[in-house]
Amino acid sequence: MTHAADPDITTAPICDPITLEIIQGAIQAAQSEMEALIERTAISAFIREKKDFYTAIFDREGVMAVGSMVPIFGDITTPVFEHFPIETMQEGDLYWYNDCYGSYGAVSHSNDQVLLAPVFHKGHRVAFVMSWAHFADIGGMHPGSISPDATEIWQEGIIIPPTKLIEAGVVNDAALAIFHRNSRFPAQSEGDMSALMASVRLGVQRMAEATDRFGTAVLEDALAQLLDRTRRLVRRRLAETFDYGTHRFTDAIDSDGHGNGPFHLRFAIIREKGPDGTDRFIFDATETDDQAPGPVNLLMNRSIPGMALGLFYLGGEPGQVCNAGGPLALDEVRLREGSLVKPRWPAPLGMRGLTMMRVLATLNGLVNAAGGQAPAAQAAYVVALIRGSFTAKDGSATPFLLADGIGVGYGARAFADGMDAVYFVAQENYPIEFTELGYPVSFRTYGMVMDSGGPGAFRGGTGILREYEILADSAMLGIRIDGVENPPWGIKGGKSGAPGRIVINPGTPDEKVLPPLSDGTMLKQGDVVRIETGGGGGYGHPFDRPPAKVLEDVLAGLVSIEAAAREYGVAVTGRYVDEAETARLRATRPEVKPFHRKEYLDVL
Amino acid sequence: MSFDGAETAHAQTAALTLAVDIGGTFTDVALADTATGQVWRAKTPSRPDDPSEAFLTGLRLALDAAGAAPGDLRQVLHGTTVATNMILEGKGARAALVTTRGFRHVLGIGRQDIPRAANLYNWIKPERPVPASRIVEVTERILPGGTVAKALDEDSVATAADALREMDVDSVAICLLHAFANPDHERRVAEILRATLPGIAITASSDVLPVVREYERTLASVLNAVVMPGVTHYVARIEEKLAAEGVPAPLLLMQSNGGVAGAGKIRSAPALTALSGPAAGVVGARSAAAACGVDDILTVDIGGTSADICLIAGGEIGLTQQGQVGDWPLPLPMVDMVTIGAGGGSIARVADGALTVGPESAGATPGPAAYGRGGSEATVTDAHVVLGHLPARLLGGDMALDVVAARRALEDGVAKPLGIAVEDAARGILAIADNKMVGALRVVSVERGFDPRDFTLLPFGGAGPLHGCALADLIGTRRVLIVPAPGILCADGLMAADLKSEFSRARPRAGTADMAEAEQLCLELEADAATWFDVEGVAEGDRQTNRVALLRYAGQGNELAVPWAQTAEALEAGFAAAHRALYGFELNAPIELVTLRVEARAAMQTPAPSALTPGAPPQPVDHVPVALPSGRENVPLFDRSTLGAGALIEGPAIVSQLDTTTLIAPGWSGTVQPSGALILTKADP
Repeated sequence: MTHAADPDITTAPICDPITLEIIQGAIQAAQSEMEALIERTAISAFIREKKDFYTAIFDREGVMAVGSMVPIFGDITTPVFEHFPIETMQEGDLYWYNDCYGSYGAVSHSNDQVLLAPVFHKGHRVAFVMSWAHFADIGGMHPGSISPDATEIWQEGIIIPPTKLIEAGVVNDAALAIFHRNSRFPAQSEGDMSALMASVRLGVQRMAEATDRFGTAVLEDALAQLLDRTRRLVRRRLAETFDYGTHRFTDAIDSDGHGNGPFHLRFAIIREKGPDGTDRFIFDATETDDQAPGPVNLLMNRSIPGMALGLFYLGGEPGQVCNAGGPLALDEVRLREGSLVKPRWPAPLGMRGLTMMRVLATLNGLVNAAGGQAPAAQAAYVVALIRGSFTAKDGSATPFLLADGIGVGYGARAFADGMDAVYFVAQENYPIEFTELGYPVSFRTYGMVMDSGGPGAFRGGTGILREYEILADSAMLGIRIDGVENPPWGIKGGKSGAPGRIVINPGTPDEKVLPPLSDGTMLKQGDVVRIETGGGGGYGHPFDRPPAKVLEDVLAGLVSIEAAAREYGVAVTGRYVDEAETARLRATRPEVKPFHRKEYLDVL
Repeated sequence: MSFDGAETAHAQTAALTLAVDIGGTFTDVALADTATGQVWRAKTPSRPDDPSEAFLTGLRLALDAAGAAPGDLRQVLHGTTVATNMILEGKGARAALVTTRGFRHVLGIGRQDIPRAANLYNWIKPERPVPASRIVEVTERILPGGTVAKALDEDSVATAADALREMDVDSVAICLLHAFANPDHERRVAEILRATLPGIAITASSDVLPVVREYERTLASVLNAVVMPGVTHYVARIEEKLAAEGVPAPLLLMQSNGGVAGAGKIRSAPALTALSGPAAGVVGARSAAAACGVDDILTVDIGGTSADICLIAGGEIGLTQQGQVGDWPLPLPMVDMVTIGAGGGSIARVADGALTVGPESAGATPGPAAYGRGGSEATVTDAHVVLGHLPARLLGGDMALDVVAARRALEDGVAKPLGIAVEDAARGILAIADNKMVGALRVVSVERGFDPRDFTLLPFGGAGPLHGCALADLIGTRRVLIVPAPGILCADGLMAADLKSEFSRARPRAGTADMAEAEQLCLELEADAATWFDVEGVAEGDRQTNRVALLRYAGQGNELAVPWAQTAEALEAGFAAAHRALYGFELNAPIELVTLRVEARAAMQTPAPSALTPGAPPQPVDHVPVALPSGRENVPLFDRSTLGAGALIEGPAIVSQLDTTTLIAPGWSGTVQPSGALILTKADP
């Protein structure tokens, strides 16, 4: 199908820098408006309270131009084009998928639903918009669909290959009915899908308006320039960090929950001169360990390394706020089929979040090993799945699913402490009062874990302590904690963060420490679940941390008096620093090495 | 110091209202005879060291101008930025927090997110208004619905009091879990602390913000604690000075919700004034528009560092409970406005071939390059100067603008790095600043289901009227309203405000509307409102109350406010219609009634609008060169004080007055209204 030539195209004006800035603002406004709509109208707590949703806008060929500030999107559009050629698309179409393997990891676990729509202006395709959200339950072996128990992807819920959900305005209601029928919480599924569809509709409208305002050619040129600006900047920064040659860094996840592990992520960045004399940047993960039988495989889309490095290098750059163009900065991405980051169908993927966090840390390690200044490692955010049923007032059993995402400590940086008690970008907690009102649990405590942040001149962020008492008749617990055997590393004298752990009925004769990645633990009414999440790695020699900051941490309950003396050489008495004793402690300064994980190491 | 107003007219009666708005540089005072509509104005430099001094100076100036005595004042209205500044600048009281044992770090954890717009690699969690080192725990526990699971251990409160004493704090916030459902423990803790720590300000979360979600409620309580000693002291000083001056009238303060309340209420919940100043401006804008018979307006208040944007539909100012002050969510009722970092002082910079404007601002010092106070970076104001929008000598002003410095700043900072002409650079800076404001205008209109083309744009603040035509063109609005005194609209707004308060209560558990229960709750809330009316001394006949229901689809996290209806079916129908209008769809899901609200208000004595007499056809006082898109042109300059009602001015033209400059763009024309407002309209294309 061909379209009438847009009269704007022939004149081909170039978008000037001022219009470019204005278009960027307009597109970002459209994107945040789409997000606001999802937040206000979605039904499941996972989306509207935890806020696990993202949006993005793409150019007319499907290259992402503006996206949420997270390095987790892959190439969203190509998988759709493979099924529905781009030139066959019509105004009013809406495409949908959650197929990880069918999308080469553009989505990387099946709970994430992607809706994509082309935008037309006067019959001419000008852009694409996407809304994406994690659906709380799409079937599968356990409520919540993801489970450490899974050994194949069919156990992780219904799979939707790229599908045309709306054809020129006509909704495929049967597809929706099949999908909702497969959820244990169909009302949530229906409400969330309505919100997501309304969000895409809004994005289409906004982008059409933007085209009206700026003209097709200017808009297209603007998107191309945004991408190119980021690409050039990231390549310049890559060249500053990475000299010619091969730079390597290795990190590891502990286990797959099925008795296997550790699994090593062996990444390299190679910089070489291409045949035409220009630089080539190659990302190589082929030496990464083989895929896991358990669901910790990360089907890593080729866009991910560039997107993460792009976000890192764009941090603090004024005017460079579009999460796009980073993937274009890398000339080649080498992955090995059958490895942890490119598993073969039908390996399970549900718990890939912990691997994703370790991928980000490994990329930080690559930058640091090459002499750059990336943060120390962060812990992998933690998920606790508590499912069961409680007896309602009328005596009926009501099922519930509490999928609780719990924050961790992030790595310290060359200019600041690591973030304390943070989950991830744009993902919020379930407040205590909200949770107690809606779920059969009661909290004993919710706080930060003392001495969890890796010591350093800049301290690693602290982990979170969350302790629940089960009020339901019975419940089954799934848990995902990583970095217990291999805690987040510290750098330049900074030490590793403390590992997380999970204990049932702590301090009682029934006390039981659970495997950190496990499912199927049965709980009864009155049982107490204590979850401590890991801290981030420290940055710089701990003795260089100003005593006043150490004192503040002690008074805040984040560092113990013992650790202040032992790790930082700072003596605290009451609410004050004992300066004489501190001077004595700091007189002997421990030797350090470039990295630290439980001990100082030259190479991790 | 100066004043204007008809010098011959003297106040005839004792029906005088005084309004005082204290800004960063000047304190504006308006004195009105509510019977005749006569207004006297005064302006005096602000005194940041003791704002009450400028208050008193302004009061005396205005009374002198009117030939009136302090005893003639019937009411004194005041908008204050004391609380706002303490929050934004982190300069409030040294405060502490008392919370439930086991939950000390709730404030520090926040919502455990990295904000959606932040970069995870360089974001730093903002420091809390109260650090964890000043948070103490008490032993108690209340469950959802308000059941006491663990009685308050009073020994633990005594221990906490000892710790607080050692921390040497001036103010203490108390926020206990589920206190919004059962405030008993918070009240008892407050009682014990008041007895054991005399002289320390105490805030209980159940008094400030009785709603679910512990982090947001804690934050609101802590912010209240941080501003309480300062605001209390400030209000007391003004009351003392008024008494010493012989003013018998009560002091009423503007709240963030656009209504005024008595000093007593503000002393107990000072965080209610966090947006006092901007709210006053919006109320003033509404009243000035109403004087021209205009009810649907979009207001843009452009100051030095930021712009506040707000929508008023049908004369109703929208309120929100999801507002923000600086870094902090502050879910107290406030005027639903969007604040963006674009103002006259916003700095333009080029980095990596990209031009950005703001959010960094040159502020009052060093200020724009054109102010000649040492600023060398290009700002939005400098761009106006370069294009000739701001005449080098402002009418009646003492300040001359340094055109050369402005040009140099743009040349070096923007034009050369981008390789473009300096006029193009100036236009670019304005285009980017305007575009940011357009983004915010869209948020308050399109995102809320309104079409901006149906609205009149009302730009105010010192820099507002320079941007009116450009913003209107961008959003498709064909009418711009320039009020008589755009630079001092806040003082006028104070006089136009109602006495106002909201009383709301969440149902213990949300669910299908139970009309008997709802009726009972509303009656209780109306009783609370009646008590408040009594305290404020409002006569029976002047009392207005209005019921509002907040509903949502079961499972949603946000409610929509729907006008009261007699049946559950009618409430639900109203909700479904609102949901469709706002979001484009309805759900086949149960609808829950979450919260009931009673809005109480009493109209104040407001001055009758004065009428401007028709004058001679307008005569320009000068012609000034302006760089228009079509080329440089000598454009007529008018002195606004010489314009009579009915005067018609064709654009391009510049209208100058003491407190602002208005740019009438080509294709636009302005007509002076009997109310004194200038309405600009766009000619048909």
